[in-house]
Order: sequence, then structure tokens, then C-alpha cells
Amino acid sequence: MTEIIVVTSGKGGVGKTTTSASMACGLARRGKRVAVIDFDIGLRNLDLIMGCERRVVYDFVNVINGDCTLKQALIKDKRIETLYVLAASQTRDKDALTEEGVRKVLDQLIADGFDYILCDSPAGIEKGAHLAMYFADRAVVVVNPEVSSVRDSDRILGLLSSKTQRSSNGNGGVKEHLLLTRYNPRRVANGEMMSVGDIKEILGLDVIGVVPESPDVLAASNAGVPVILNDDSTAAEAYSDAVARLLGEELPLRFLEEPKRGFFARMFGG
Amino acid sequence: MTTQRAEAAAAPAIDIRFGQMGLIQVLIWTTDPGAILDELTGRVATAPKFFQRTAVALDVGPLGREPSAEEMRGVLEAVRRAGMCPVGLASGPAAAQALSQPLDLPLLPPFREFHPPAEALGRAGARRVEAVPAELEPEGAAAQVHTHPVRSGQRTYARGRDLVVTAMVGAGAEVIADGCVHVYGALRGRAVAGARGDAAARVFCQEFHAELVSIAGVFRVFETLPPELAGQPVQAWLDGDVLRFERLGV
Repeated sequence: MTEIIVVTSGKGGVGKTTTSASMACGLARRGKRVAVIDFDIGLRNLDLIMGCERRVVYDFVNVINGDCTLKQALIKDKRIETLYVLAASQTRDKDALTEEGVRKVLDQLIADGFDYILCDSPAGIEKGAHLAMYFADRAVVVVNPEVSSVRDSDRILGLLSSKTQRSSNGNGGVKEHLLLTRYNPRRVANGEMMSVGDIKEILGLDVIGVVPESPDVLAASNAGVPVILNDDSTAAEAYSDAVARLLGEELPLRFLEEPKRGFFARMFGG
Repeated sequence: MTTQRAEAAAAPAIDIRFGQMGLIQVLIWTTDPGAILDELTGRVATAPKFFQRTAVALDVGPLGREPSAEEMRGVLEAVRRAGMCPVGLASGPAAAQALSQPLDLPLLPPFREFHPPAEALGRAGARRVEAVPAELEPEGAAAQVHTHPVRSGQRTYARGRDLVVTAMVGAGAEVIADGCVHVYGALRGRAVAGARGDAAARVFCQEFHAELVSIAGVFRVFETLPPELAGQPVQAWLDGDVLRFERLGV
């Protein structure tokens, strides 16, 4: 049984691609067969974050157009056996994607026996974002703790509940999760940033993970190693927790308080 | 030539059809021909192509009294001299009835009655926009129930009945009903009750953070929320021309 998960946000620069890469790695590390697809046609980034940019020969649009087989275009990750990347085309635009084309590729991945297909959505609510979410079973909505990101996420959640295949065929809709990134407990405590509670209340959804603001994220992107693979990073631990929750485990949220508050605060944080 | 005559005989002399055409109304605030001529000449000059030899109906409603036929002849003359062609009287006011015969002008029925501008406009931050007259669906229609959050950018409309939302309404979302709007959750977006003019409609919500509330066209925008209402269970109703808000259950 394949599950299609869209990673989306509406707003740009909140960490969709970072999240897609880390969650894909996290799921694959747990033995799942995972394909992660970059839907940001024309602004290809996922391959950089995954560190496979020099191995992109064929891309998503090539597969849709029948220039190559899906097998030729899937890039096998060098670190994790069961992880594959399907890169976006850098030279085309979003009109190259069609509903039929995307459906065909997803159907092939399902037939190939993948456990999870992660769709890394582009920013915005136009065609690319629409097609990234259209076939999803679940959605991870990435939010930064600030008002414009929260507003855009609300808009995206509205689209998820009305403009997807599952919402239109009455299949129970898309299961929605919030993932907070760039969370800075100190600034939340100072009232400069929205808290997890505020965001949960405004969006009316539960939080699948809170990723603390960390310099490791930028370093990981530049190195082409998804941050979840950095064993010393709080961001990596937060992503691992989010993956566990995605798989149904119940874990308390961590990193909601400043680390200097000591052992007990960290153990019982929240 | 004979064939032409035969054809002419076969064709009817006239055809009568029902058709609707747009007609300009001239509202008369005075019967002073000089004042009317001055003002009309100015108006006609601004758009001569539009107003020259255009058919108009006169509406004597704004006068608030019954002008004599003599006065009205002067008015008609002034209107004609300004370049317009009066073709009838708007039949709203009772005065028009009496004038139709002596002036030999037909009464033109489907005009909306003239209402003097309400003085209460703009009072207490509330403004009135044109609301379409109420023509609600048959009574007894159950409320339209919406159980999912209404998200930013979404709009839900309950036609001819109440709208009940049992979840939150996000900022930038719109919940609209011809009847009342009930939100059992936070209301952060816009709520419009009495969308077709029912002034008895109300807005209720469990947690008030609305951006805009409107009842029967009277609306209020909340740039800042009054502290006594923010986050509280609140109802809003129309008291004459004033939109009132009150905390529920106090």
C-alpha cells in the first residue's frame, strides 16, 4: 500500500524542500521504500539538498513526455538503499506538468511497490502546487512561526480540503499535519515569535513536529546532506521525531524550551 | 409592380412586441424651469452623444408635493430645451397619477421608488451598502451545516437560510447567509448575515476575532478588536441603522 504525502506551505522559503529531503531520508532509514519528487519545475532544488545534483540525467518532465523510462530518471540515493529522487526539470516551466502526466508517473511508482511517495511542492497556489497536492493521501504543511506563513498555510489547508482528488471523490479527504520549522524558543518566550499553541489554535490542527531554528540546517543544505542525517543536531532529532509520529508513534514534542533550562525541562518540555 | 402590392398585402402593417429598454430618469427637486435648464444644459454638455435626443422619464417624487400641470409644463419645456425628450412620468409618487392626463404623458410603472438619502449613514463606524431586497426561500428550510474549518480564501454561502459552522473560520475566509450566521468556534474572517436584506438576521460566534461583520448591508470592519469582545462569545445584530455587538451570556 503506497502512501502519497505532499509537503507544502503556500509561502516560499519556509523549509518545504529541507523537510521533504529529511522526511524522505527518515522514512527510508526505517526500511521504507521512498521516492521523493521535486514538483518545482524550473526552480530545481531538491537534488542539491539531497546531494545528487551531478547525477541528474533525466527528470520528471522527461518521464511525463516519454523521453525516458521512470527507471532511468529515478536517482538512487548513495547513503540509503531504499531512497530514490526524481528531480525537477530546470529548463522547463510548470505548464510542462499535466494532471494526466503526474498521475501516470505516480501510478508507475505505486506499481513499483514504493511505500511512500513524497511530493515536494513549489511555493504558491498555482499549477505546480496544485498538482503536487492533487493526488496526496496526506499533507505535511510546513509553517514558520510568523503571521504571513500561518495565513498562507490556512489557505493551503483550504485548498487541500477542496481541490484534491481525495476531497472530490469523498475518500475521507487528505489527512493534514502541521510541521513547524525555524522555531526559536527564546524569541517565542520574548513574544517576538508565535508559539506552537498559537499556531495550533489558529489553524485548528495538531502538530507533527517542531524543528528548532538551527545553523545545522543551512550547513546541511550547502553540503547536500539532509539535516536529519546529522547525528549531533537538534533539528535532526526533531525531524526523526516527526517521521516517527508520521508512522503513528506517539512522542512528546521536544525543543519547545531553551536548552539551558536543563535536563528536566528538556525531558518534560512543552 | 403587382407582385410588390401582393407582398405588401400579405405582410402585417405592424407588429406588437414586448421589450425592455433602458430609460434615463430625471428626478425633479424643483419646478423652477430656469434652474432645471441651467443644470441639465451643463449635464448634457458633459456627454452630448449620450444625452442629446435621449428619451427620459420624469420622477416628481423628490418634490414631496403635487405640482400643478402648469408648473410641470414649464419643467417639460426646460427639459426639451436642454436637448432631452421627455416620454413619460415615473409612476411611483401619487402626484404622477394626477399629472398623467393633463400633460398627456404615460405613467411608466416599473420604477423603483425614490428614497431620500438616510441621515444615519456612516454613524458609529457602520456604513450601509446596497442590500438586495429580501426574498427568502420558503420558511422552514433547515440551516446549512458546515462541519469543517472554513479556511482563508474559502467562502461558504447558505442561500435562503441560516449557516451553522461547527469549526473555526480562518482569517480571510467568508461565511455568508441570507439568514443568521452561527460559528461554534473562532471567527477570524468575515461574517455576512442577512445577505439579501433581512435586517433581523444576526451573527453569533463562540470566539470573536472577526475582520468584518455585516448584517443586511450594514457592516463594520475591525481594524482593532474592542478588548471587551476579543476572544469572547459574541452576537451582532442590527438596531435600526446601527450594528450592535454584545458578549453572549453575561
